[in-house]
Amino acid sequence: MKYQSIIVEDLQVAADFLKRYCEKSGAIDVLAHFLNAEDAMEFLKDNVIDLIFLDVEMPGASGFELLDQLVYTPQVILTTSKTEYAYDAFQHNVTDYLKKPFTYQRFLDALQKVSKKTEQINGGSEQDHMFIKADGKLIRLHNDDILFIESMGDYVKFITPVKKYITHNTIKNLETKVNPLVFMKVHRSYIVNFTKINDIQENVLFINGNMIPISKTHKSGVMQKINIL
Amino acid sequence: MYNEDQKIAFLFSPELNFEFLKELYGDDLQQAEMVFESTVQQLRSEQQLAESRFHDGDIPGLKKVIHKMKPLLGYIGLNGYMEEFAAFEKICLESGTATYAEKGFHHIRDLTDHAIKTAEKEFLRLKEHNTQYL
Repeated sequence: MKYQSIIVEDLQVAADFLKRYCEKSGAIDVLAHFLNAEDAMEFLKDNVIDLIFLDVEMPGASGFELLDQLVYTPQVILTTSKTEYAYDAFQHNVTDYLKKPFTYQRFLDALQKVSKKTEQINGGSEQDHMFIKADGKLIRLHNDDILFIESMGDYVKFITPVKKYITHNTIKNLETKVNPLVFMKVHRSYIVNFTKINDIQENVLFINGNMIPISKTHKSGVMQKINIL
Repeated sequence: MYNEDQKIAFLFSPELNFEFLKELYGDDLQQAEMVFESTVQQLRSEQQLAESRFHDGDIPGLKKVIHKMKPLLGYIGLNGYMEEFAAFEKICLESGTATYAEKGFHHIRDLTDHAIKTAEKEFLRLKEHNTQYL
């Protein structure tokens, strides 16, 4: 799993350093870098991410003020040059606390903590639900409620038997996030819940009357996954 | 530090915390060069800002600039200076007046001048090394 992250840091040198570490680790995609908390907040209104590298003292609002305004809780690694924020860090349930400048080894230690916490949150690979940001709120969707997910450019549509939810995300990103025991990518524009497949004909499959294409690349994977007697 | 391909050693200057720098940059001397260069530029611009805040008597503003300058010193191996900057940041927080902060500020100004010169010299050494061996 690759973590989708942002960096909120007013010191360009520190941000460049961090970007380089993220790239080197191969475990983190840095979606954006913000020089202040306000711009980061605007971004977070429309985007769901896994991890924030967050400075505390910046021009304008502080890192903690940003955390207070979040409607959901990504993991947070504080990056600061002070050690006095331990209590606040604890109160905000941050995953780790890196004192600038920090070494690559120390950065990797922090990533390990992120990984452990992710496992705790998801309960390993047995995650049975996900939260999506739609209609201005966070909505909990059980895997069993989702029929399939369809790409709409920079957005995706979650199809359930009763409602469709549109959210800002991509199939490529979701592919690494959904429970692989339940979901499978069958086309560059579709991820399906394969427990919901009604029938398969050549290069299409049907779920609740919806026709979904299966790409050549994914055909063999689909056939391996279904139980043919 | 070594260039992996050609095993040409680069030793950071002894006045810097070379053990820490070795740990920080590993074998990535290009990153070290880039960071030293941008740190010199940023220290210069923050120094001007600090002067202006001090002369305006804006001590909370000065504290913010000092806070921003502090980690920059770590990236160039002047970790001892970081502590002095941290101490001055505390003075700014507690004093609130330019008179009280004045003596400390002169010392910070000297440290910054020295840090810029040192980092600039090290940047040129790194640049020369990287041009020659990388």
